[in-house]
Amino acid sequence: MNFKRRGTILITLLVSLLLVISGCGTKTPTATPTPEAAKEKIKVAFVYVGPVGDAGWTTAHDAGRKYMVEKMPNVETTIMESVPEGADAERVITQLAEKGNKVIFTTSFGYMDPTINVAKKYPNVTFMHNSGYKTADNVGTYFGRMYQARYLTGIVAGKTTKTNTIGYVAAFPIPEVIRGINAFTQGVRSVNPTAKVKVIWTNTWYDPAAEKDAGKSLLAAGADVLAQHQDTPGPIQAAEEVGKFGIGYNTDMAKMAPKAVLTSAIWNWGPFYVKTVQSVIDKTWKNDQYWGPISDGIVDLAPYGPMVTDDTKKLVADAKAKLVSKSWDVFTGPIKDQTGVVKIPAGQVMSDKDMLAFDWFVEGVDGKIPAAK
Amino acid sequence: MKQVVIQLQGIVKKFPGVLANDHVDLDIYAGEIHAILGENGSGKSTLMSVLAGLYKPDEGKILVNGVEQKFRSPRDAIDCGIGMIHQHFKLVEPFTVAENITLGEKHKFFSVSDKKFKASINELGNKYGLEINLNAKVWQLSVGEKQRVEIVRMLYRGSQVLILDEPTAVLTPQEAGELFKNLRAMASAGCAVVLITHKLNEVEAVADRVTVLRQGKLVGVLEHGEIKAKEMVRLMVGRTVVMQYEREPSPVGEVVLELDKVNCFNDMGLACLHDLSFTVRAGEILGLAGVSGNGQREMAEVIAGLRRVESGKVLLNDRNISNLSPCKIIDLGVAYVPEDRLGMGLVPELNAMENLILKNYRQPGFSGRWLLKSQAVKRNAETLIKQYQVNVTSLTQPVKVLSGGNLQKLLLAREISSSPKLMVVIYPARGLDIGATEAVHKLLLKLKTSRTAILLISEDLDEIYRLADRVGVVYNGQLTGDFPVEQADLEEVGLLMTGSRSARERMNDDGPAQI
Amino acid sequence: MDRLRFKLEKRLTPSPVMVFIIPLVSVLLALLLGAIFLSLTGQKPLAVYTIMFTDSLGSKYGFTETIVKAIPLALTALGVALAFKMKLWNIGAEGQLYMGAMGASWLPLTYPTLPIYFMLPGMVVLGMMAGGLWALLTAIPRAIWKVNEIITTLMLNYVAILWVDYLVFGPWRDPKGSNFPISAPFPEAARLPELFNSRIHAGLFFAIALAVILAIIFKYSRWGYSINVIGSSERAAGYAGMNIKRNILLVMFLSGAISGLAGMAEVSGIIGKLQHGISPGYGYTAIIVAWLSKLNPLAILIVSVLFGALQVGGYAVQVEGVPAAVATMLQGTILFFVLGGEVLTNYRVRLVSRNGEERK
Repeated sequence: MNFKRRGTILITLLVSLLLVISGCGTKTPTATPTPEAAKEKIKVAFVYVGPVGDAGWTTAHDAGRKYMVEKMPNVETTIMESVPEGADAERVITQLAEKGNKVIFTTSFGYMDPTINVAKKYPNVTFMHNSGYKTADNVGTYFGRMYQARYLTGIVAGKTTKTNTIGYVAAFPIPEVIRGINAFTQGVRSVNPTAKVKVIWTNTWYDPAAEKDAGKSLLAAGADVLAQHQDTPGPIQAAEEVGKFGIGYNTDMAKMAPKAVLTSAIWNWGPFYVKTVQSVIDKTWKNDQYWGPISDGIVDLAPYGPMVTDDTKKLVADAKAKLVSKSWDVFTGPIKDQTGVVKIPAGQVMSDKDMLAFDWFVEGVDGKIPAAK
Repeated sequence: MKQVVIQLQGIVKKFPGVLANDHVDLDIYAGEIHAILGENGSGKSTLMSVLAGLYKPDEGKILVNGVEQKFRSPRDAIDCGIGMIHQHFKLVEPFTVAENITLGEKHKFFSVSDKKFKASINELGNKYGLEINLNAKVWQLSVGEKQRVEIVRMLYRGSQVLILDEPTAVLTPQEAGELFKNLRAMASAGCAVVLITHKLNEVEAVADRVTVLRQGKLVGVLEHGEIKAKEMVRLMVGRTVVMQYEREPSPVGEVVLELDKVNCFNDMGLACLHDLSFTVRAGEILGLAGVSGNGQREMAEVIAGLRRVESGKVLLNDRNISNLSPCKIIDLGVAYVPEDRLGMGLVPELNAMENLILKNYRQPGFSGRWLLKSQAVKRNAETLIKQYQVNVTSLTQPVKVLSGGNLQKLLLAREISSSPKLMVVIYPARGLDIGATEAVHKLLLKLKTSRTAILLISEDLDEIYRLADRVGVVYNGQLTGDFPVEQADLEEVGLLMTGSRSARERMNDDGPAQI
Repeated sequence: MDRLRFKLEKRLTPSPVMVFIIPLVSVLLALLLGAIFLSLTGQKPLAVYTIMFTDSLGSKYGFTETIVKAIPLALTALGVALAFKMKLWNIGAEGQLYMGAMGASWLPLTYPTLPIYFMLPGMVVLGMMAGGLWALLTAIPRAIWKVNEIITTLMLNYVAILWVDYLVFGPWRDPKGSNFPISAPFPEAARLPELFNSRIHAGLFFAIALAVILAIIFKYSRWGYSINVIGSSERAAGYAGMNIKRNILLVMFLSGAISGLAGMAEVSGIIGKLQHGISPGYGYTAIIVAWLSKLNPLAILIVSVLFGALQVGGYAVQVEGVPAAVATMLQGTILFFVLGGEVLTNYRVRLVSRNGEERK
């Protein structure tokens, strides 16, 4: 091949490159103007720790975002997926603030310090950090009382188990996860006082293979219902393969394993997102630490699978009514820890502060919290 | 008129930057032993690889029995009755001889009946004197036997033309004699045998016709009767070469190297040298003959400090240097030209400047506490390359691109320039062409006159006889003979190399030995 | 029977024009392919490429962030290059980075009141020691029993990452952090100073200084010469009287120490505490960086910046609505073409028929 020929090819490639780029650039696939187009648009951004298709944590948040976009036509959203929690987060959040976003939701615990850092530089932007505890003038936090939904799923599991062994595939030994296990166990034991909840830690949030393996080993240890805290359907699929049952988390996981899923403890962020953005527009927003109860609808149960009996549904409905009416909460004494010591005396209700720092297991949990002091 | 089986017409083969074959014509007749002669890089192996279907020629025709053929793979060539036996045998070591012979046969692997197969192999064996044990595993065989398996395999596949690439390079003189007898039998039966070689004495002894190549071109075809060493050398080298060196008599001095009952292990952890003892004096070349694999490499490594001495002593000027670090031994004045020039003696990826300081880069002449003195390194390289006439195009080019002869000159330049007390050289001319061999030999003879003790380890008896003052024989890690060169009988040395411990006695018993 | 096929032939010497043109053409081709893919998925390639460039190299903030990303990449790549120079395949830079981060974190977490002139040098020393000793764990079996260091260094990555997890979930957890898995924040004295009013920190000087030192070692030093010889041919090195075992231990230790320094710089300069996930795989990307730079320390600096830009730009395009998966694919395409072009600088492709005749 001589050079002349090679040159021709090069030029052809360059020309076609330009054609592709410019040709597509002239297309304007932007949305048609809405009736509210006259109104000023507000830009809202979301930072996600996983891909939107994780069928778990991030999917739930993105469903909330879509709900908001539907309800609020003057909102324009940007998403950033799979953002690592190390050095990258601060840059990504900065770029979002720089691009004119007025409200930024950062949806993972690891974004706490980056969110606070960026917020200092952009006082006119409102930041909402999910699941953390630090606030600032323009940073609020938000989370939901998932433990209430987990308590309800515990009732379903406790009524379903035949072996009186329930498996729990746990993510990381942090208060949120421990609280979930404890609430679930309280739910189980409220209907089945002899049942045990066996815990395996995977130290992952999103590792379908590892989480499925953890599920399998719990099944092998005699569990016939599995609950989980990760964002993948691995554990419930493990349960379906051997004809056992599972309880989903984050979103309704029934589609992933229709024969196994009893119900799922789900997040319902949409209404909260609408409320928050509206409050920013109305200039009524405050830097609260919002921890939404089940009565706000931010946490809930997904529709039951066909195998759940009416009797069980009734028990759950009663418990839910108590929670919604706020006449009772999950961690109301007497509650013993694994060694039988009464941690919460009868009549006392655990404070939010203590719940946010949960570092012990209630009676009925078969497992250990690693490195607990 | 003899029948022409193969005609090569105007073969041209190019490699990037090299014209390996330049319009070469060649006729091969049935029933002849035809030698292809040439120095390294003259294109003889390339030409035969074209014939065997390994390379596709860029130009030219191959005619087999008058019909033009285009070979796409060695299999096509085999189907036309052309088989090549390479220097490195293509045998599967853990398989039996029978399995190796049938290996690669299309459709025949399972269907050939055992009886019929054995019968045909035996028939070949009887016809040409090629006896092999079909049930032996290949790894158990000696080099000569492996070669025989290769030959039988080619014959079994119906080869009428057999190409052998440097077949005697790995054989003892006795084995070589045996091989030539077999080849002659095949030729008499109508096969054509093509030998690629640069050993003139073999050509003189067995070839019917000789084709000589030089730098990719055909320079001459010698018919039977014209085959004379001197003429062949003239054609190969393009000038006349002295066959015997003038050897200035140099006085032999004190003992420099002494091995005293040395034992060591080889890489497999097996005992390899057995109570080996000998001495080399200043200004003397001790030539150690032996078939490779009898402990020569290990012996050299023991002296250079690269291998542990298990028992016994290595003395340098009466100082015990056993198990000193290689670094220390270098500093004491031991130079070593290893068998593996590129990879041990020289670093392939590095350039000539860097390779020339490999052993003395630590010395104040070439480096300070931290940094190398790049000017000194460069000057050193320029001087040595000029002095030793190493042909390098650039000082910054990796040495792996150099020819064998230039590599060996570069290596010797470094080792000799360190003014050693003792020089250990192993197979110094292996794979070198006549011109380079001559240069290397002259360097060694010159070094001797500067009162260096030289231990020359070689399996080329010609080389030993031309250089050594004393001839020793190594077999199985022991010294089985030690003669002044004038008294060393070629036949006896050859027999000792094969392990006939009491060759002299045996000759006395049996009368004159046949080699 | 003229079946055509492609054949790779080694170029005798890559021409200088090629060395320059091929990477350029590779990137253009990658962008072209990426553009086709982007338009197929309904994106606007021009807008995507614009943002990819402006947010990584074409704006002040983007450029500083690219440098932030390049610092740990350059440091780990330098560590990797030192070992690779001797053909020690240390692919454990990721774990050595984590151990370095851990070693450096120990000081401010244990003695938070130390003054800055003890604190920072102490963290540097401890970080390098931790990374170096971690690498030494694999060098010892390699030197004595020739245990394959590829496997041991790789395996120890997982151990190191889990070890840091263990610490932040357990003993080193911030007592004031509501039991969340992070260490206490470092005091101000344990933070590397920031430069140019951006997140760029003094780790930049570590990278530049080390690159210069390594360049001098490789090219002009006695020790660099012996590393080169050992790397090219261990047998030749032994023959020349070089101490191979000692050099394996030394080189591996230093290689790990440099990666450990990367970990120190990351926790001290950027994150300000020890936590899970301090590196999104710098130690692995470093292998590609070192390789593409042909182990040339100064080239490593440049290639690290380009890789930093590629990653920063890769995230930024999500603003244009490009899903993360497509962004990653775009990065992959560019990398694939550049590496492919690498091959072409050293080899040329010829279309030949089965008979060996060349088609022009």
